[in-house]
Amino acid sequence: MPTAMRSKGFIAIALLPALLLFLIFVIIPVFWSAYYGFFSWKGFGDATFIGLDNYIEMFKDPIFWRALRNNLILVVSSIVGQVPIALILAIVLFKNSFFSRFIRSAVFMPMVLSTVVVGLIWGYIYHPQFGIANYVLEMLGLDSWTRAWLSDPKVNMLAISIPINWANVGPYLVIFIAALQNISPEIHDAAKIDGSTGWNKLMQITLPMIWSTVVVTIVLCISGSLKAFDHVIVMTGGGPAQSTELLATYMYNSTFSVYRYGYGSAVSTMIMIVSAILIALNYFATRRKSS
Amino acid sequence: MNLQTTGTENASGKRVIMKGLSGFVKLLLMVYAILTLYPLYWLFTSAFKSNQDFFTNPYGLPKEWMTENIFRAWELGNMGRAMINSTVVTITAVVLTILLSVLAAYVLSRFEFRFKKLVVVLFTTGLLIPIHSTLVPLFIMMKNIGLLDTYGALILPYTAFELPIAIFLAMAYMSSIPREIEEAAMIDGSGWWGIFSRMILPLCTPIVATISILAFLRFWNDFSFALVFINTQALKTLPLSLSLFSDGFGTDYALTMGAMAIAVIPTIVAYLILQEQIMKGMVAGSIKG
Repeated sequence: MPTAMRSKGFIAIALLPALLLFLIFVIIPVFWSAYYGFFSWKGFGDATFIGLDNYIEMFKDPIFWRALRNNLILVVSSIVGQVPIALILAIVLFKNSFFSRFIRSAVFMPMVLSTVVVGLIWGYIYHPQFGIANYVLEMLGLDSWTRAWLSDPKVNMLAISIPINWANVGPYLVIFIAALQNISPEIHDAAKIDGSTGWNKLMQITLPMIWSTVVVTIVLCISGSLKAFDHVIVMTGGGPAQSTELLATYMYNSTFSVYRYGYGSAVSTMIMIVSAILIALNYFATRRKSS
Repeated sequence: MNLQTTGTENASGKRVIMKGLSGFVKLLLMVYAILTLYPLYWLFTSAFKSNQDFFTNPYGLPKEWMTENIFRAWELGNMGRAMINSTVVTITAVVLTILLSVLAAYVLSRFEFRFKKLVVVLFTTGLLIPIHSTLVPLFIMMKNIGLLDTYGALILPYTAFELPIAIFLAMAYMSSIPREIEEAAMIDGSGWWGIFSRMILPLCTPIVATISILAFLRFWNDFSFALVFINTQALKTLPLSLSLFSDGFGTDYALTMGAMAIAVIPTIVAYLILQEQIMKGMVAGSIKG
């Protein structure tokens, strides 16, 4: 039998590598960026303590607010795009027939692609010269709708949100199908006896039964939108005139191209705070719903 | 008699409508699936076109199927080198993730010790930290310790960020393994390491597969870390090379499509073979993450 001493040794040796790696590369950087956020620093030489100046500058910068707004646009577009599409598909596809399995794997496919590939392909789809987006609109006789989708500041955030929705319906679909298959057949039988079918059944039985899953997918939309960095960097780089900047690309562009590590750290800390606020808001909203 | 016939006619009429409706729904579903797959179809057909063919006939099949773009992209864009880099980084990080996470999960699910709660809480917060908020401090730290622009600059942060989700997946799985198995092994005189390597690890094969798939896709496709931490041409991974490719060969669209085809084929082939596992793995990962 292993002795207590040997257990202690095992615990230490088995747990420490994971814990140390995690602390050094995930937890400590969060505190570092909070610390550097109070300095003006070019990445070399001495850092000067400037108190809250970085944060004051950030709040005065209209680009910061636009980036925050753009992040929220992506959250909203995911919630009104991916979630309903995936839910409708799941309701239609939840049987395990060959046909529904085929559709499911087709819809899931973009999920395994690199975000860079997604960004590049969609950049071409929106291309003003040969992009199919404008071509289809012309075919439909909607010539007046054609435009340079990624450079027109009125529509470019919407244009960016479409590929993100396109790539992410898959997992939501699979999540919803799993939730629908978890509803016991007796409930369906009971609904049948009560004469509840179609729309009524959907609104009064199916949706309430999977409501907790819907909430989970909304949380995923929020955290997913904070990860949209790659798509924007590849499709627009945050431009033109910083109109498609997200918090993360704003951080990237104001750190690595102009060597302002102090300011970049302050923005990084702000990203942490924003995501914590969003998660907290969601936590309280869901707690009320489930109680 | 009359009543009955109208009755059945009604019912069969209803059935026809229902059939028509489900046919219509199926058609819509097919359209949606085709719309989803269209960008990929476009990518692959364009990869086999000449630039002239691409401009005059952007949406149809190639007039002449040429493999030139693929070969040119492979050579000009250093795609071979990028493929090797991605493979080295991804495989090392996946192996490291599995080893560290399964060991840590074993300790956290089977032992009681003083700071256990704190450790679990720490890993849970790890799930909530947006990776982009750590780019700047990680960049500074790696620059200071000379890690920047090495394979390690990707392998270590990839593993570190994957650990929380991997550990929680493994812990959940281990809670379903009965402890009696280990008790029996203990009576046989095996130490913890023996129990872990001879009993627990083999029993965990299914969850190790899930963790590997999840980690593989994330590391193979990562762009953010590679963009910030890698600068040397010879160390660039596939997504990073691709993004630069489109800058460098701006108007050579067919060539860029060829490069993308090279990058996409391995994941698509893997997806076609392992799709059920990939779907399950990614869903498990996204729910916990």
